[in-house]
Amino acid sequence: MNKDKALEDLFLAQKPQFDDSEAFMDSLNKRLDAVEYIKKHQEATIRRYKMALVVAFVVGIISGIVTIVYMLSTPAAVPLFTFRMETGWLSWLAANSRLITATALSLLITFGLISIIGNIQDIRSMRGEVGFRIN
Amino acid sequence: MTREGFIELVEQEQEALRGFLLYLCCGNKEEADDIAQDALVKAYLSSAGYQEKGRFRSWLFKIAHNTFLNHKASCRTTESIDEARTLISNNAADASFEHQDLYLALRTLPPKERSAITLFYLNGYNIKEIATITEASEDAVKKQLSRGRDQLKEKLKL
Repeated sequence: MNKDKALEDLFLAQKPQFDDSEAFMDSLNKRLDAVEYIKKHQEATIRRYKMALVVAFVVGIISGIVTIVYMLSTPAAVPLFTFRMETGWLSWLAANSRLITATALSLLITFGLISIIGNIQDIRSMRGEVGFRIN
Repeated sequence: MTREGFIELVEQEQEALRGFLLYLCCGNKEEADDIAQDALVKAYLSSAGYQEKGRFRSWLFKIAHNTFLNHKASCRTTESIDEARTLISNNAADASFEHQDLYLALRTLPPKERSAITLFYLNGYNIKEIATITEASEDAVKKQLSRGRDQLKEKLKL
């Protein structure tokens, strides 16, 4: 496509000139300083999240192993925990101690997994906020 | 890309970028500079992924074009009021402004046509480059240029 000469001349004759380039660059530098500050803050938050993730993972693994080892090391007929008092409910709890412990352990693991997935999603969304998309 | 490297490149290109946005914003310098700053911050944040060696200006213009379109989309509801206000300001307070006729004519074009026309006539890009910057097909750019040129010529009585 050819350029329209009259239009081109008009655009080129009216090419804008700026005499405040220094002020513009100063303003840009200030914005970039603010962006750097936010980036550092978010990176620190991401590091903390990652640490919490590792701690949750290690605590979950260790407590899971300890509980499973304890359950397997005690005879099946012996309850995992007993109460000194002998009431109906407490007796029922003691009789079903393995089942209750296994359920509690499953809930704990589920909670841990949900927390870990939540943390990963938070970290991803934070990374997304730090690096804006061009579009 | 380091911050120093980025600033160095921006110092060379900022006038061209601001000029481009000034035309897109039809002479509203405050708005154009604000969009330019936003675009440059986005460019800085994306500069780690900048691969197009030697084509920094096109890359910046692409980001600026998208930022301008996003800005237009977000201000659509208040645009008519602002537009009227700017027109009044252009007509009354800034009557001697030398670019006024061209800006007023550009204002009648849709943002995408305005962008294509400015890149073609002010910045000297060819159709292929404009298609890359505006993420449109070459045919679409040709149509935008043709329609825009006809409208501008009619408004400016060229």
